[in-house]
Amino acid sequence: MSPWGRCPLVEDSFSRLGSQSNVYGLTALPGAGPGAGPSAGAGAGPGGLLAAALKGKVLLFRYLHFQPRLRPLAREMQFTYIPVDAEIVSIDSFPKSPPQSGLVVGITFIKDSGDKPSPFLNIYCDYEPGCEFDLDSVAQSCLNLELRFTPFQLCHAQVRVGEQLETVFLLSGNDPGIHLYRENPGSHQFEEQPIQLLFPELQDVPSTVLWLDVRPLPGRGHRLSALGCQSGFVRAARVDEASGAVLQSWSVQQDGPVSTVLLFPLPRDRNQDPEDCWSLLVSSALEAAVVYRGILRRGLSQPLELPGSRGSDSVLCAKVTDVDFDGDAEILLGTYGQELLCYKYSRDDPGDDPGGNSVDPGDNSGANSVDPGRFRPLWSRRFPSPLLALEPLDLTGDGLRELAVVCLGGLHVLQHSLEPTARLLRERLRREVQKNREKNREKNREKTQNRRREEEEEEE
Amino acid sequence: MRSVSYVQCVALDFAASLFPHAICLGDADKDTLNELVVGDTNGKLYVYKNDDSKPWVVRSCQGMLTCVRVGDVCNKGKNFVVAVSAEGWFHLFDLTSLNSKHPDASGHHELAGAEEQKPVFKQHIPANTKVMLINDIDGDGKCELVVGYTDRVVRAFRWEDSSENSDHVSGQLILLKKWLLEGQVDSLSVNPGPDGSPELMVSQPGCGYAILLCTWDTEQRDAAAGRDGSAPSSEAPARDVILHQTSGRIHNKNVSTHLIGSIARGSSENSVSGLFALCTLDGTLKLMEGADKLLWSVQVDHQLFALEKLDVTGNGHEEVIACAWDGQTYIIDHNRTVARFQADENVSAFCAGLYACKEGSNSPCLVYVSFSQKIYIYWDVQLERMESTNLLKILDCDPEFGSLLEELGIDRSNDSAVTNLIHKTLYYPEKYHLSSPSEDPAGTESSAHCSGIQDSL
Repeated sequence: MSPWGRCPLVEDSFSRLGSQSNVYGLTALPGAGPGAGPSAGAGAGPGGLLAAALKGKVLLFRYLHFQPRLRPLAREMQFTYIPVDAEIVSIDSFPKSPPQSGLVVGITFIKDSGDKPSPFLNIYCDYEPGCEFDLDSVAQSCLNLELRFTPFQLCHAQVRVGEQLETVFLLSGNDPGIHLYRENPGSHQFEEQPIQLLFPELQDVPSTVLWLDVRPLPGRGHRLSALGCQSGFVRAARVDEASGAVLQSWSVQQDGPVSTVLLFPLPRDRNQDPEDCWSLLVSSALEAAVVYRGILRRGLSQPLELPGSRGSDSVLCAKVTDVDFDGDAEILLGTYGQELLCYKYSRDDPGDDPGGNSVDPGDNSGANSVDPGRFRPLWSRRFPSPLLALEPLDLTGDGLRELAVVCLGGLHVLQHSLEPTARLLRERLRREVQKNREKNREKNREKTQNRRREEEEEEE
Repeated sequence: MRSVSYVQCVALDFAASLFPHAICLGDADKDTLNELVVGDTNGKLYVYKNDDSKPWVVRSCQGMLTCVRVGDVCNKGKNFVVAVSAEGWFHLFDLTSLNSKHPDASGHHELAGAEEQKPVFKQHIPANTKVMLINDIDGDGKCELVVGYTDRVVRAFRWEDSSENSDHVSGQLILLKKWLLEGQVDSLSVNPGPDGSPELMVSQPGCGYAILLCTWDTEQRDAAAGRDGSAPSSEAPARDVILHQTSGRIHNKNVSTHLIGSIARGSSENSVSGLFALCTLDGTLKLMEGADKLLWSVQVDHQLFALEKLDVTGNGHEEVIACAWDGQTYIIDHNRTVARFQADENVSAFCAGLYACKEGSNSPCLVYVSFSQKIYIYWDVQLERMESTNLLKILDCDPEFGSLLEELGIDRSNDSAVTNLIHKTLYYPEKYHLSSPSEDPAGTESSAHCSGIQDSL
């Protein structure tokens, strides 16, 4: 009997890409228009997706709202200054950090005209007031930067410079190193700046970085960053944003290229320190995907294997998002073996599988601080071609996160099965209304009691 | 236009070539589960069961098989497999006994005795067959056999039993009527007419169709009354074929046309005229109700060569399924909502219907015969709905949701407030929602992780 259940998501739409994409070929667009802004979660209007295919084509996917209909639309975006013989490597986009506003799209590609391939980074950004979020005009204003290295992942991170927040591009290259591109406030132009000034933890990498993840640590102005290399080297660090000091750093050497590193908080107990839950997911081309739990306390010493993540060829992409509406995030893995795997973290019944999934169970016996939890397979879904990239986001504008999946063949958009979700929503709202009523009743009772008491007192 | 992908697919071995109508789905062995029946140009008949890539039954017929069907052609209350060859050989196979004799359904029956291999009945009918239909076309509650020919002729036959023993198949096909048409007949179908009685409908080139009148009852009556039949019979050929063109704006009046009738429309089946669809090789698709009511017309840039009906949403309304030579498949509902599916290979024949591929039950399937010696069955091709939608629209007409919103003090017309409520209720359920609403589990918003969290600090 397979441990995998049935995927609760159903495909709503599939869009073919003209040529194959890759693991860096998908980026989310925030809801369009100023005001919709980048505020995480519900506030943002329906978002969109940019999916880049190898042969220089970029597909824009979003849902159009025609009352009373909702229509999926996939169209080719004409980004300027991408030559016909270019092969796109990576794409990324972000909304500028306030008080600035506007959409920035970055595309790296390699132009192969004969003897020597030349790599480029194109940054698209419009400064015309009113057009900052208009993708069509953004796509026409381009800054073209020639690179001296082969580009890999292009991502972005927010940094605090003085009192200002700023979002910058981070691009990994085969030199090996990570390059930072930041907007010069004077010239309104993006330019490369030395990485060590803002991201000291990202310098001196031993091999090409295949995946980089940077996340702010709520509370103390700290930041967590993690990177995984082609050589199997994984490093995580905690940095004080204000001083730029690396407070803690951990590294580990795994076998085989690391396809993804992902920092995320594990679901935690009520009484647990919120910092304890920060964990690192590392997926590998050759090994099983593992999670290092509580890295701020334990570093990268106790990997917990995701069972069955080796059984479907290399894991190429991973995301952490809540797919079953219980408030806790699940892990999603996309594999070359055409499977989307979903794992849930559970602390209950540790006796059921005593430390079985832990790679070094010897540690379990001694340290009572070791979390007894484990990851169990929740569901899997098959796709018609290998999975390359995942992105959970609200595309339909109803507050639910759809799941975008880029496969070798094209872009799939999966949606929660709506009838069961509507049932769940109604049930929860009913409960909430019930609770409100009880509260009101209690309040009224208190009020009448108080009044009675007052009356009695007056009588006396 | 919405596109979908299907993943659940099995490949069956089929190392032969076939005519486009020599494939069908039906319950050949009376186990309530449907089988796939395929006939090839060498006269071999294959019956596939489950997801087994090898045929469950192989039989030999005489001539090139042009059409195969499963149906109660003898009106004995059980299905036969009917295979007709271009040379005019009509074969009947009874596979219902196989099921009971060999309970282990896993065994293949290629090695069965020579006696069992033979058809239970064989008869020669006029040659040059092209399409075949087993259905009640005259409303007498019994099935007739209708055969369309390459020489623009359609003939209707009725099975006449010659023995009282209902188990044994003995009898013959009797010709009921012959119609002569102006153009090639690519499909035969039955559709309820304005009075609710079945009408035999055949496709005609240029997105046209003709209704063939079943006049044998009146003719018989006339004959019984002893009238002289010679005078009316000279007029008869003109009267018993009623030709319809569906539109004057047809680019090519000779273009090959397919047709399918009796498209189910669920419980709202109050109007008597049936729904039928037409498609042409130059990409026109039409859904009609009765002779003159066009419900929709769709123009696509693919060469449509096969037309089927299948309820893919499970709501009782059958969608129209049209397939092109390159594997592009259009699924269109009664409201003209289109979903496309692209099969991976070029297609030589296509059919759609219920088939028991896995899990021991029938599910809606799309069947593609490729040119690479494989038949691909995409099984359980259900869609939740034809049109994209979201939770807001689903809940829009829900009265309980409205009253819940009212109690929570949320304006229903304010979409963003409702969206916010949905998001909060589903992603931050009570345990977090109540204890620490400000503490966003950082990182669950992997798409916009930076800004959102720092903003809230």
